[in-house]
Amino acid sequence: MERRRLQIRFALIASILFAGSAHAQKPLRWGADPSGGAPYVYNDPSHPDQYIGYEKEIVDALAAAMGRKAEFVPSDWETLVSALQRKSFDVIVNGLEPTADRQKQIQFSKAYYIFQLALTVRKDEQQIHSLADCKNRTVGTLGNTAASRLLEKERIPMKGYADPVAAYRDLELKRIDAVIMDVPAEVFYVSKNPKLKRATEPFFRGTYNIGLRKGDDALKTEVDAAIDKITNDGTLETILRKWGLWNDAQLELRTPGKAEQKNTEAGYDITSAVFNWREAIWRLARAAVVTVLIAFGSMIIALVLGMPLAIGQWKGPRVIQWLCTVYVEFFRGTPVLVQLLFLYFGLPTIGLAMPGWLTALIGLGLNYAAYESQVYRAALEAIPRGQWEASYLLGMSPVLAFRRIIMPQAFRIALPPMTNDFVSLFKDTSTAYAISVWELATAYRELANASGQFLLLGVAVSLYYLAMSLPMAHLARRLERRLQRRDAVEAVEPE
Amino acid sequence: MIRVTDLIKSANGTRILRGVSFEVPPQTVLGIIGASGSGKTTLLRCLNGLERIDGGMIECDGLQLEPSLSKHEYSRRVNELRRKVGTVFQHLYLFPHLTVLGNIIEAPTHVLGRARKEAETEALQLLESVGLKEKARRYPESLSGGEQQRVAIARALAMHPALLLFDEPTSALDPKRSAGLRTLLRGFVERGHTMVVVSHSIGFLDGLADQMLYMEAGEVVEAGATDQVLNSPRDPRTKDFVEQAK
Repeated sequence: MERRRLQIRFALIASILFAGSAHAQKPLRWGADPSGGAPYVYNDPSHPDQYIGYEKEIVDALAAAMGRKAEFVPSDWETLVSALQRKSFDVIVNGLEPTADRQKQIQFSKAYYIFQLALTVRKDEQQIHSLADCKNRTVGTLGNTAASRLLEKERIPMKGYADPVAAYRDLELKRIDAVIMDVPAEVFYVSKNPKLKRATEPFFRGTYNIGLRKGDDALKTEVDAAIDKITNDGTLETILRKWGLWNDAQLELRTPGKAEQKNTEAGYDITSAVFNWREAIWRLARAAVVTVLIAFGSMIIALVLGMPLAIGQWKGPRVIQWLCTVYVEFFRGTPVLVQLLFLYFGLPTIGLAMPGWLTALIGLGLNYAAYESQVYRAALEAIPRGQWEASYLLGMSPVLAFRRIIMPQAFRIALPPMTNDFVSLFKDTSTAYAISVWELATAYRELANASGQFLLLGVAVSLYYLAMSLPMAHLARRLERRLQRRDAVEAVEPE
Repeated sequence: MIRVTDLIKSANGTRILRGVSFEVPPQTVLGIIGASGSGKTTLLRCLNGLERIDGGMIECDGLQLEPSLSKHEYSRRVNELRRKVGTVFQHLYLFPHLTVLGNIIEAPTHVLGRARKEAETEALQLLESVGLKEKARRYPESLSGGEQQRVAIARALAMHPALLLFDEPTSALDPKRSAGLRTLLRGFVERGHTMVVVSHSIGFLDGLADQMLYMEAGEVVEAGATDQVLNSPRDPRTKDFVEQAK
């Protein structure tokens, strides 16, 4: 303990000493998926505003050893490697195994944890005692992990999940027969669950390493040194013991001769944590602001860009017509999710890297511009030819006729479908979760996974969405009514 | 005021007008009658430049339109022509998003660049002359068909055209209102306007038109003073049409 305090003091002194040096003070930006991320890194149920987890503590310790500040960048598991490459952060610390295919894209530090796999079944399960017993059963696990590859190799029917919570819940609900998971997750979720049990002792051996960009060799040296330091001085063991993850296998990581540190702290107990609703609601409110900003920003892009597209497709020269049609069909014919992923991960390879929220704003804007252009075009085409001719005969130029006579009438026709589009754009902002934008849907997934409060948080999130979309629909209806003529309409004699 | 010589208009390979000629002296009304499809409406659309002519010539108030003109020159002259010619369509095409007053002052303010106040004063005078002054702030939709038509007339007159074209002005009117419209138009002629009126209704043109022109299949079958064409037609085809219409 004394030693640790000294070490923290040293880190503090070091950080003060290096305050002038930009390099040493550069924060250690690390990426991981906090959604369903317990016990690695996840939202603290009692302080949803904060992230906790044994890996978070490890990174903090590493950063302290490096004389830096750790800065967490919440991201998505499936896209961690790409996000690292596009420099959304500098290291991945997310229980990442140095697999051969990943090593083609990024490099890895030394190992900081030796993990095993645990096979979980329902308490009343009698037949499954090993992985071999699962040959004709369905086993759940996370996609693209050591466990999923093992199942593939053993030709065991597999169901992939995005987070452990869903996998264990499906096991409880008898949708699957077993779950295989890395021990840290298994310890966290299963040890307190009376309905589940280990089918057998943990097996398999793999390592967690820190992922770095290829070429970031100086950082790798720094990180490796820091890992050595916290492994040998007992900091790492303290953290792992606190989380109930310590076992003798970890001793292998130590430099010979230094394995003496002992520590016994109580394991972290998730069930004792009380979910803090006030903070969660507040957190959702901030996510709602992001949602609103993205929705309004992209709607403005869509409304503005839709007009030249509509006119180009409607009255432009053939080449322009063709280009506008290609644009419209491309954006309408491909999923917006794919478009966002392309903008977020594809564009940086040609040197255009935007933050996630801006990518979502622009991506949804470009997408909805295609829809708005069709709304405009239909509205413009609905105006009788006679309106144009009447304008021309009064001496108006095409531009003047369009601006003064056609547009105002078309706007009235376009308003209801535009409102519709805006409401669905509002909901489509949720696709931004794929590129790790912290909007409402991401917030829901993350907070619900951390707390298990899927139902109540779901209601809360729905209320947020409704609170935003209903006033808009109301406003649009009022505007429509105002545009309709208020005068009583006398019958017009038929011809 | 306007002279048309050997006017030819084709569309999709068929000749719709096959050499139409006539002349309308100032301050007179020419009535054009004929069955549906005889080319009356196309003729009007040539006179106001909505259709480009394929042969012959239109002369209006010193301006000439010929098919030999370049596209650019033709449309330049059409723009000029439209300052001289006002049109009241069969379907009127009032601007539904503007009030009655807004419909009338739209072109004077935005095309001629006149001051809004001044344009409004004149528009109200025009509305008074068609008996609609108290409906200036209403929207066209809330008016009857006859009222809407008078708004369209006022809208055309606000541009001070030398010549007014009417396409089937009585199609939406009952006999009583037709008679009222005839009186109104006759009043405008007394005050110096010149008109070409296309109509099915011989009864309406009788007493309004100074001259009549009977068309069939894109040709002028008979032309002359109204009294002569209606009461002692020379051509048997005219006679047939007039008798059936009566």
